[in-house]
Amino acid sequence: MNDRDRRSAVQEQDRQPQERFEDELIMDLERDQFVAATSRPVPRALLGARATASLWALRVFVVLVSLMVIYTFIAQLH
Amino acid sequence: MLATEAIAPAPLVSPPLTAEDVARSLDRSRVNHARRQNKRWRLLWLLVGPGILAMLGENDGPSMIAYASDGAEYGLGFFVPFIPLLFAMAFVCQEMCMRVGAVTHRGYGELVLQRYGRVWGWFGAGDLTLTNLVTLVAEFVSIRVGLSYFHLGSGVAVALGLALVAFTLSGGRYWRWERIVLGMALFNGLFLVAAILVKPSLGAVAGSLDFTPFPGGSFNTLLLLLASTIGATVTPWMIFFQQSASADKGMTPRDVRHGRYDTAAGATLAAVFGVGALIAGAALLTHNGSGIQGFAGAGFPEALKHVAGGAAGAVFALGLVEAGAVAILTISASTAYAAGECIGVSHSFNSSPRNAAVFYAANVGVALLAAVVILIPGAPLLSIALNANVLATVLLPVSLVFMVMLANDKGLMGRWVNKRSTNAIGIAVISFVGLCGAAYGIDSFLLTIHLIG
Repeated sequence: MNDRDRRSAVQEQDRQPQERFEDELIMDLERDQFVAATSRPVPRALLGARATASLWALRVFVVLVSLMVIYTFIAQLH
Repeated sequence: MLATEAIAPAPLVSPPLTAEDVARSLDRSRVNHARRQNKRWRLLWLLVGPGILAMLGENDGPSMIAYASDGAEYGLGFFVPFIPLLFAMAFVCQEMCMRVGAVTHRGYGELVLQRYGRVWGWFGAGDLTLTNLVTLVAEFVSIRVGLSYFHLGSGVAVALGLALVAFTLSGGRYWRWERIVLGMALFNGLFLVAAILVKPSLGAVAGSLDFTPFPGGSFNTLLLLLASTIGATVTPWMIFFQQSASADKGMTPRDVRHGRYDTAAGATLAAVFGVGALIAGAALLTHNGSGIQGFAGAGFPEALKHVAGGAAGAVFALGLVEAGAVAILTISASTAYAAGECIGVSHSFNSSPRNAAVFYAANVGVALLAAVVILIPGAPLLSIALNANVLATVLLPVSLVFMVMLANDKGLMGRWVNKRSTNAIGIAVISFVGLCGAAYGIDSFLLTIHLIG
């Protein structure tokens, strides 16, 4: 073992147990799984005009039908 | 490691570890160890959870009452094959949720909000909150129905539901929460026991597999049956829950195969137990479905007791308590995930209440709000319970459309995007659910305002 290896072995021994524990933990998680990584938002997707219009049409339709169901529910109560 | 293209690569230096990372990493170390040691059953045991919980959580009080009512009113024909068909449909949707959660490590709410804009994210969260609140009221009603068979009142039902929420949240670990709820969820099998206790004719069960006889009655009744039965198998909360839980559990693309096993096992168990409730309910058919209208009281179990004996009634009542209790836990969790994701704060069972205050507050708060409703004297609990599934069916298509969009997003999913066949089935499911929900909503409205006779 040369001086350099010996020095790094000593350094490794000197490392705090907490740091070694954290290193081991890091190995078990994927890099994009850390809270620090998942906290970064994903970029916006570009939706075409037709897709956006279709989504709005579906949304309006669903809201209208929901209102009908809620109206029927309230009417049945009386 | 699979880095998604749309997300900027993480820095090469080690990120600062949070308590959430540490807890998740401990769970992952067991998974990695089992995989390295080639312990297949251990690996499966470690990776099951979100799929079974989503499916058995959806076998909730209103759903089991809906299946049993179908049986009591129409018998076994049509519904015995229809329920498994719906769960096969649910499998397709839930597999997508699991896959997106495992690949992106993010929940449904935050992905919709970040990828398609705040408006769509908040619309989704709004739909979820509305349907979850209504459904949670129905879950407390279900516990009350079950307990009233044993002469226990609303106060006990509320106390039991809220105590379970508080108890399961107390550990500060996803793994602990999941295993407790999973253990409870297996008691959904009580409905199968109830089915065995009513001594059904196996020939009649086998003979009903050809979808006949088709249920009779008015067109509106048929639509209500379809809408409420669909709402008993696929709902918005399941989508939010399974994706967020898969991410919270720490699943990765390497776990997708086991995630599929988990989802398939959940769908199979839920279908079997659902058919169990149907068979138990069908025992009442020859007695004109007597007693099932008393939903706010101990109607169903009591009626079953008269027809099939005290044991069948007691088991069915206990099943309702279990179904309501498990659904309260999973539905509250889905609301909490959605709240944390949309507000952009910590949303994990692996975080402490101090670090994830919104998550824990939403979890307890939504259950508390529903509990208060069932304590209001004269509240229309029967109507709320019966309409919970229908409302979920009506609002479901939008959530499903975004689910399919996320599962097809190459930037997020890379090589894990949907296959063509999955898309074809997904689109068919959305069309079917949308058509049934809309047809019932419009037909009922026109009947109510006397535009049609």
